[in-house]
Amino acid sequence: MIDFALPPFIIIFLGAASIPLLGKGRARRIFLVALAVLCVANVALLKPQTGWILPILPGVDLILLQADRLSLIMGYIFALAGGAAIVYSISTVEETGQYVCALLYMGSALGAVFAGDFFTLYIFWEIMAFSSLGLIWYEGSRRARDAGMRYILFHLFGGAALLAGVIMHYVNTNVITLGPVKPGVGYFLLLLGIGVNVAFIPLHTWLPDSYPKATIAGTIFLSIFTTKTGIYMLARTFSGVEAVAYMGGAMCLYGVIFAILQNDVRKLLSYHIVSQLGYMVAGVGMASGLVTEIAINGSIAHLFNNLLFKTTLFMCMGAVIYATGKNNLTELGGLAKKMPVTMVTCVIAALSISGVVGFNGYVSKGMVIHAAQLLEGGHTGVILTTALTLGSVGTLISFLKLTYFAFFSKNEEIEAKEAPLPMLVPMCVTAFLCIVIGVYPKVLYALLPYQEAALHYHAYEAGHTFGVIQLLLMTVILFFMLGFFAPHDKITYDIDYLYRTAGRGFIWFCEKPLMGFAHAMENGVFKIVDMFVRFFRDPIRGPRVIIDLIGVALIKPFVLLFNLVIHPLYKYYERDLEKVKSQPIEEPITSVSIGTAVLLVLLFFALYLIVMLIHGWLKLIP
Amino acid sequence: MDKKLKGLLILLVSVIIVVSAVFVFIIDRHSEYFTGVLYGAAGVGLFMLLAKILSLIQKEGKQDD
Repeated sequence: MIDFALPPFIIIFLGAASIPLLGKGRARRIFLVALAVLCVANVALLKPQTGWILPILPGVDLILLQADRLSLIMGYIFALAGGAAIVYSISTVEETGQYVCALLYMGSALGAVFAGDFFTLYIFWEIMAFSSLGLIWYEGSRRARDAGMRYILFHLFGGAALLAGVIMHYVNTNVITLGPVKPGVGYFLLLLGIGVNVAFIPLHTWLPDSYPKATIAGTIFLSIFTTKTGIYMLARTFSGVEAVAYMGGAMCLYGVIFAILQNDVRKLLSYHIVSQLGYMVAGVGMASGLVTEIAINGSIAHLFNNLLFKTTLFMCMGAVIYATGKNNLTELGGLAKKMPVTMVTCVIAALSISGVVGFNGYVSKGMVIHAAQLLEGGHTGVILTTALTLGSVGTLISFLKLTYFAFFSKNEEIEAKEAPLPMLVPMCVTAFLCIVIGVYPKVLYALLPYQEAALHYHAYEAGHTFGVIQLLLMTVILFFMLGFFAPHDKITYDIDYLYRTAGRGFIWFCEKPLMGFAHAMENGVFKIVDMFVRFFRDPIRGPRVIIDLIGVALIKPFVLLFNLVIHPLYKYYERDLEKVKSQPIEEPITSVSIGTAVLLVLLFFALYLIVMLIHGWLKLIP
Repeated sequence: MDKKLKGLLILLVSVIIVVSAVFVFIIDRHSEYFTGVLYGAAGVGLFMLLAKILSLIQKEGKQDD
């Protein structure tokens, strides 16, 4: 056996650096396929308990590679799904920059899951945020640019919270290795930072906002890495936190109801990421006491399976958009005969995500729900079991809607032909794996963090299987009988409407009242400065103007009495006074004579000497 | 959807549910095995209700920005 322990991010980063040298032809395609294979092979050769440590300061080491069962399963699925996405992108991506962004993104995600300390994790976390932004911006449209800005704002906020949490944790404990965090401000900030990536409600809005607006290949890469890295981090640091489990239940239902209402196929899938993340988050949150092993296994198994079926679904919908140029369900339909391979793989992935018996989603969802049923004490188990089971119903509804209205509903006008081979191959591979794991789940059990516990779980226990079949059939029959969930050309507001309204309000506040106040302050300061300048350029002018003003004020009452006599004279005097007052500073003004200036200096010096003498600070020599 | 296909589907599912009900309530006498049907019905009802409520804040259009 080869003892090989090279951090996978190094290979991918080297690949990203080499891409610009290869042009846009065949060499690049071969290189990309080879890179995908090499990455999978590298991760497959990593052994548990191997590591790379980089000392940076006395007592502070960056752990660039820490392989254990949890990080290894993440590495396997990232390398597999990422490799499939690389191959898929060969047909749709022309720009070298987009490949660089995708590879940096994939490499940093692999770096994050193999990081052994918080600082290394943070570095890769930020590289992920910025490289993934490129995948959105390469779409080129204004809506992509705007969504990208919102995306990076969220991730900068999350990254800042994470860094602050890491620093506080380090200051309090003097430990930077990844692990559970003690409650406190740092704990809350870390949870917030990870929560942005995991799409906690209400921090989730960047996900359905940006993913549908990325490039076709970009959406696939995005659906693989960011959120799943967050789940991994959550499992490392916040397992067994009850609030996290409830958040998972809420995400499961929230995501699915918004998915049902969507018309844009990629937006529907994006909301389903939130919903499926709910199962994983709930699994992590439930992981305490006796259910720790089954809950963590369920969560990670669902992450693994989710990457297979969700990547397949995004690839299928990418192929549909590539072939038709349409992304709304109201414009699609009739593609089953025109794109048969895409249709079959999409149906397999839809059955998998819906948890249909015989597919991989059934196995992992069952594990998470089983963990919820095993929870003891209180209503947590009942609430979570209900939420996660109802989430399955909603998932099936939305995927009946997606597959039926994209492929099977009538549409005579649509023109399309099957996607090219490089797009079909990865779709078929991931769809095939969905079936393999569904039929023979022990393949997956062998990879899970708690292998023994996994092998004791029976996915095809009669009562459970029977209940799931009933649930799914009931949902199918009601879906078709009621015909309620047909797509419409409508936009559904999410919480981001409030964020955008608040953002616009904030910008208005900055541009209007705040800027008005700033201008007023600026004018005030300028006036004061101007006054000082005037005074010091001609100190006598000020008192003279005041004396003149006093003179005018004194004379004014007499004007009433002696108007007839004084008026002609006074009128000229007042006119001259106005002229003096309005004399601009730039105009030549009467300068102080040198003699007066010397006199003033001597006067101040004399005053200074007197004060010094009085206080005894100046001693006269006899 | 084709009416024939729809009818066939409804018939098929109805038969399965009836057979399940017979198995659960008469032969095996374990009513808890029937919770899948209840969850299915409750779930569809819940999502219809939520969709109806959320439709109040929907607006016409294809783009979301």
